[in-house]
Amino acid sequence: MIKKDTSKFEINKEIKELVVTRIEAQTPQNLKLSIGSCGNLTKDEVIGHIEKGDLIGRQVVNMHLSFLKAVASGKFTKAISSV
Amino acid sequence: MNSSILITLPRYDDATEYLSQFSIVIEKEAVNKNISLKKLEENKVNRKEFEKVINKLNPKMIIFNGHGSEESIYGHKGESIVEFGSNEKLLKERIVYARSCNVATILGRKCMADCFIGYNLPFMFYTDSNWSTKPLNDNTARLFLEPSNLVPLSLIKGNSTFEAHEHSKNQILRNINKVLASNKEESFILAEALWNNYAGQELIGNSSAKL
Repeated sequence: MIKKDTSKFEINKEIKELVVTRIEAQTPQNLKLSIGSCGNLTKDEVIGHIEKGDLIGRQVVNMHLSFLKAVASGKFTKAISSV
Repeated sequence: MNSSILITLPRYDDATEYLSQFSIVIEKEAVNKNISLKKLEENKVNRKEFEKVINKLNPKMIIFNGHGSEESIYGHKGESIVEFGSNEKLLKERIVYARSCNVATILGRKCMADCFIGYNLPFMFYTDSNWSTKPLNDNTARLFLEPSNLVPLSLIKGNSTFEAHEHSKNQILRNINKVLASNKEESFILAEALWNNYAGQELIGNSSAKL
């Protein structure tokens, strides 16, 4: 069966707030996120995972931070202007 | 080994239903190109059946749809069908595309496939709940699943693994441009998830392999 979460990584409180604020502002109610084996998650369910700091929550936070880092470094802009 | 394809199509939750329905175009393209394609569907996507079909058909390419982890690819109801340290040798010398979370991290590196294309991050996609009963009409999911389909479609059309990988990643970038240009409430959230799949998609092994 699918493995359980064993990671010890915890989400910093300020980062958690930043990501939750972005999700609340930018996700319409009709959109659901498919990630891992937890089903398609509503906005409120995604936020719940972040608040709990579980594996799904950490994966969503990592996605946001990776994106922000790519934008800040110029990597994102360079990539999307290459096509 | 012949130039046939094996594709897994589990359909037991929303994610696997979407992946399976968006795979129909892959089946059609294989038919168009007269390439033999064996479908392993629904409850047949279990380890016993998978191993039986691999040994019988000896396919050149395997396309996995379903959930994954760093060391395993899962089939019907989360049963591990390929697992590092157990039966990863079944992938040896084949072209593998795995539309599954994280499997490029360990399994993809260790399985000795001729070429393995997969994700070293969680594979993510958004769906529009207004279309959950008709996934193929869901243009939000299409933004994510069409670029991923380009890996097997390009290979079926005769491209190399490198070309298939690049076609797919470039389409993700074009879709990012499209959602940002649409300037909607969800534009950035979609772009972030698309970027995640772009950053996580990895080719391991022979970049000039062809079907």
